[in-house]
Amino acid sequence: MRLITHNMLQCHVKGCNANNFPLELQEVVLEQEEAELNEDFLRNMLGKIEYEALVATCLKLDINDLPAAMPADAAYNDEFLQILHRVILETHIKSGKMVCPNCQHIYAIRDGIPNMLLAEHEV
Amino acid sequence: MPHFLIQFAQQHEEFRLPELEALATIEDVQMTYDPNDYSLESPFLIVEIESAEKAALLLKRAILIKTITELWGKADSWDGLIAKVQEHPERWPQYLDVSFKFSVVTFGGTIEHKDKAPLINRFAFTGFMGKIDLKTPEEEFLLIADYGIDPDVTVAHTFYMGRLVGHGKRELIDKFNVKKRKYIGNTTMDAELSLIMANQALCGPGKLVYDPFVGTGSFLMTCAHFGAMTVGSDIDGRQIRGKGKASIQSNCEQYDLKGRVLDALVFDVCHSPWRKIKGGMFDAIVTDPPYGVRAGAKTLGRKDPAKQATEPRMAVDEGVLAHLLPDYVPPTKPYEMSEVVADLLMFAVKNLVRGGRLVYWLPTVTEDYTIDDLPTHPCMELVANCEQAFGQWSRRLITMEKVADWDGEMGLGAPTGDMNTSKTGPNQVGHFGFRDRYFAFSAVENAKRKKELKEAYQRGGPQAVAAYMKELEARKKEATTAV
Repeated sequence: MRLITHNMLQCHVKGCNANNFPLELQEVVLEQEEAELNEDFLRNMLGKIEYEALVATCLKLDINDLPAAMPADAAYNDEFLQILHRVILETHIKSGKMVCPNCQHIYAIRDGIPNMLLAEHEV
Repeated sequence: MPHFLIQFAQQHEEFRLPELEALATIEDVQMTYDPNDYSLESPFLIVEIESAEKAALLLKRAILIKTITELWGKADSWDGLIAKVQEHPERWPQYLDVSFKFSVVTFGGTIEHKDKAPLINRFAFTGFMGKIDLKTPEEEFLLIADYGIDPDVTVAHTFYMGRLVGHGKRELIDKFNVKKRKYIGNTTMDAELSLIMANQALCGPGKLVYDPFVGTGSFLMTCAHFGAMTVGSDIDGRQIRGKGKASIQSNCEQYDLKGRVLDALVFDVCHSPWRKIKGGMFDAIVTDPPYGVRAGAKTLGRKDPAKQATEPRMAVDEGVLAHLLPDYVPPTKPYEMSEVVADLLMFAVKNLVRGGRLVYWLPTVTEDYTIDDLPTHPCMELVANCEQAFGQWSRRLITMEKVADWDGEMGLGAPTGDMNTSKTGPNQVGHFGFRDRYFAFSAVENAKRKKELKEAYQRGGPQAVAAYMKELEARKKEATTAV
């Protein structure tokens, strides 16, 4: 699972509606894999990404490349787009857990595939 | 504006104009044609486009277009055609010195090889002096004879001459051929339709496309091929993981699309973990919801709500909570087709960007279908509704576009058609209980088959029976590959 996908997910257990994002990554195994730079896509996602949450998540994973605030000229800042690309599209979580900061539900990631299914009492 | 002749593939006829419109939208090509000129029974359509360069843009990813030709003349005989072409000598000089060839194309009939050269020679008046190059000519000129689809007609009724602009991308059908794909399931959509769906969804570079019933991931591949970034989910994680070395992942590798297929996640789209953002997350949703024939649709929960746990349960003999075990699989219950479709539309309303498209298949019982069966929402406009028929049932590729922002409250709207003429009740759409009705067809089919077998035997003995069985197999294959 890529970090961009992590940034798009929130806890969805029944009744868990506040403080349910971002899911906290624990015991993760990371892998870098090169991908073709797609600037149009990055620009499309600038308004959709929760940037603060992304930076906070990265810091916990010892990824310190992103500036604390998104540059005002992000859409046409080549250097920034390149870093963003590397972080959200080339960084994969091969295994680990995503824990809801609110209800503590654990979503497991195995073989790079997150299991976001809810338990019987959570739907 | 110059006229161009489009030759479509003579199949998936209902999908051809919607795809053409989608291609024009994607490439921003202004195009006009007379809808009365178009017939499902003919592969030809004349359109007006600003220039040959613009016309060529339509071909970049066309699946149902074979060729586009700059039209130099149309008539009801070769003599008439020659006269037409001769009316515009100003078209010829710019091609005087380029290498070229002439090709004779027929539809619904044949022209013998020996007759082709004399025919081509009748167009020598154009005065082209360039080298004749049959393999890689700079220009190709087409002489087209249309005999129509009636097999009893042996004389062509319409003749065209023009300069070839180019070919569509039908070779992609072979590239994505399911038979050559490493990982497929029994509900994998065929390549041609998967590609058409990517066009209907206006997939392109920079877009984020989602398939909520991803299965083995066909649409992740075809949408990504046209440049979109794709993501999918499925309630059944086994489909995503695949077996051994065959998985969605291995398909991404096979098509070299690893960089564009973002992820496949395991969850039930009824309980979706996508973060809600104002303005919507996805640029398109492309999906084939489970019809419940071969892969029954499922949603989380228990059939009997009284048995549904509201508190965590202890695992038997383990001393720990069941849902925390690594191999825990939550219970699922059947998910009625009509609900799947209604939920899908509502999901699209909430999660698509404005201008984003929802492209999905709707199974319908042919004799009950009315336009009222389509769920509607005031934020969603119907763009296309293309039927692929299989006798008693069919499936329809529905394309909708989100045309207004959602106010956070509005639910599904009233059906579009006149309820008084609908054969089904307002709460009973044509695809309601689709699975049961599909299997009811089988009972009728079986009885019919027995009768036909008996008749075949009486008619021609074992040989006729064998021929009948062969035909049956072919029919069965066609019907089931679609389910």
